Amino acid sequence: MIIHVKNLLKRYGDLVALDHLSLDIKEGEIFGLLGPNGSGKSTAINCILSLLRFDKGEIEIFGKKMTPDAYESKRNIGIVMQNVAVFNELTVYENIDYFCGLYVHDKSERKRLVEEAIDFVELGNFKKFHPKKLSGGLLRRLNIACGIAHRPKLIILDEPTVAVDPQSRNKILEGIARLNEQGATIVYTSHYMEEVEQLCSRIAILDKGRVIASGTQEELKAMITLGEKITIEAFSINEHELQQLRELSGVLSVQWVEKRLVIKSGKKAGSLEAVLDFLKTHEIGFGRIYSELPTLNDVFLEITGKQLRD
Amino acid sequence: MPVFNVCLKIFRKNWLSVSIYVVIFLAIAILISATSVSDQPTTFAQKKARIAFIAEEQTPLVKGFRKELSRSTMIVALPDQSEKLQDALYFRQVTYILRIPKGFTENVLSGGNMRLEKTVVPNSIENTYVDLNVDQYWNLARLYATHEPGISQDGLVSRLKANLSGTTPVFMKTENAAKTSDSFSMFYFNFLAYTLSAVLIMGISTAMMVFRRRDLRMRHYCSPLKPTNITMQLLAANLLFAGASWAVLVGFCFLLDPKSIATINMLYFLINSLLFTGCIASLSYLISTVLKSLNAVSAVCNLITLGTCFISGVFVPQEFLNSTVLKIASFTPTYWYVQANTKIAKLTHFSWDHLAPSLYSMLIMLAFTGAFIAVALVIGRRQQATN
Ligand SMILES: Nc1ncnc2c1ncn2[C@@H]1O[C@H](COP(=O)(O)OP(=O)(O)OP(=O)(O)O)[C@@H](O)[C@H]1O
Ligand SMILES: [Mg+2]
Repeated sequence: MIIHVKNLLKRYGDLVALDHLSLDIKEGEIFGLLGPNGSGKSTAINCILSLLRFDKGEIEIFGKKMTPDAYESKRNIGIVMQNVAVFNELTVYENIDYFCGLYVHDKSERKRLVEEAIDFVELGNFKKFHPKKLSGGLLRRLNIACGIAHRPKLIILDEPTVAVDPQSRNKILEGIARLNEQGATIVYTSHYMEEVEQLCSRIAILDKGRVIASGTQEELKAMITLGEKITIEAFSINEHELQQLRELSGVLSVQWVEKRLVIKSGKKAGSLEAVLDFLKTHEIGFGRIYSELPTLNDVFLEITGKQLRD
Repeated sequence: MPVFNVCLKIFRKNWLSVSIYVVIFLAIAILISATSVSDQPTTFAQKKARIAFIAEEQTPLVKGFRKELSRSTMIVALPDQSEKLQDALYFRQVTYILRIPKGFTENVLSGGNMRLEKTVVPNSIENTYVDLNVDQYWNLARLYATHEPGISQDGLVSRLKANLSGTTPVFMKTENAAKTSDSFSMFYFNFLAYTLSAVLIMGISTAMMVFRRRDLRMRHYCSPLKPTNITMQLLAANLLFAGASWAVLVGFCFLLDPKSIATINMLYFLINSLLFTGCIASLSYLISTVLKSLNAVSAVCNLITLGTCFISGVFVPQEFLNSTVLKIASFTPTYWYVQANTKIAKLTHFSWDHLAPSLYSMLIMLAFTGAFIAVALVIGRRQQATN
């Protein structure tokens, strides 16, 4: 285990930010911590890093108890904070060099590492820029470069892609995957399920400070009853017919909103065919048809009864 | 030493905002040095009076007198016409008209009337010296004549010449070192308090503010650097900045008044200002642990520097300040700095007894330094603990 967290309890006054949180993160994986705003992701990360005191629980990193003075462990951790932490007084290059220099003392090695980090986040054209002159997305990329330049064994990224455009976001995700291939263990928090789905090999879903589900994507999706979500453009349908649709075998729910039929069906139900047959026999006109497999949002929705994103 | 280096970089970046104080300071210092370091010599020289010398007889003694008088006065040649003489007096061409009446020499030698005719501009100091010279010459002449009866007039003249040659030198009875007493150096080092305070508080607080930003602090806690190590690097950078500021500002003093380097007083001025630098540097560090925003820093900076400098006698000498104000001021290190400066400026002897009062003021400044550091450390600990 690279990170072992057991029964972590953290209170802010009356608010329980982390409610007996347990996590186990293995070497070499990309672990996703998915949860809506305020679910406790940052709090969990900060506790794991000993930046915050917590009320109860145990935390081990690299098999050793994590404490504020576990400097040997800290040496091997790379951190990208949710809030951008760079010096406005320094240029892009100087910033990366500075943060790398906190870990790597050898000058020539550091030069190489800094150049690599700059290539990694594609800030080559902005080396001499000051952070104030960077766009939000570029600033995030600088933040990432500052966290990973020293080639740590464990990289923790707390929502690193907020405000980054989709194109750069993909580049960043690809880069993180590449760091993982080169041997780094990654902990990635986000409230974007698409990112987590695309990137992470294992995921823990967080809500109100508790892990409500964890496992691989397949395991998570297997936990829920939803197998398929079918959307059909239907122009007119009456209440009676809707009721009949709901009674078809394998169909979990049917809704008709804005001339669209949204049908959720269970696993291995083959409901699509039955639905189409029904529409034909009742001569209900329909247009385009989409079929989607469940997403992490559906997992979250089914477990908590609310959408992952408000 | 990454933290140290970045801290220096930030100092360099902020230099511009700090340099405004230096520019103002220099402008004033140059102005003062131009007006105050005049070449007024401290040894005494008599101002020569302009006189008209009218002789109605030309005895050897009168000729000798004229010669003697010309060493201490400016003899302006004027015709013996009363109208012209009056005009000369009126237009201050001369301030003294001396007339040797016929038979005057004979009178002197024979012990008769020694009255000379003189017309003067009233209340003229130079004239007093002329009177003195006149009296001295003729009194001596009579003295020699009575003690050496039968001496020729030429003999008398040479005696008198030997006797009167060389004005008795008059020295101001003070020593060289005391020249600094209300001199440029004291002014410069007093005023330095203002500039040093402003530069250090602005410079150090702004730089420290950067490192105290919560995000950066958290980020530093994630790194393998110990917090004490970071603090030490920051302190080292601050000291270097303070030392450099001191050196630059003091350096200007030597440029403006090169002669001051040679005095022993300067050594103590330097020590005193260095102690003050340390004191204000620690105060600046303390300020940066308390304040949260840059606006607050510049407000507090102005308040502290201007306020303490005013009440401590940086701008107005302490003699002119009211005693309540001075009592309040004595709770600031600036007061003791100015005190020490004033005492140092008056030093002419450098024995322990003479030095003690200024050293005492410096000691109090050191105590302030210690207190500032202690409070800053306590607050720093608190902040760390509440994280
Ligand atoms: N310093 C604090 N004092 C009091 N409450 C806090 C503090 N920091 C966080 N909280 C609360 O703790 C809960 C968890 O916050 P946290 O920042 O960990 O959420 P998050 O999952 O990181 O959210 P986001 O996606 O917005 O970053 C929230 O309800 C938040 O209001
Ligand atoms: Mg967060």
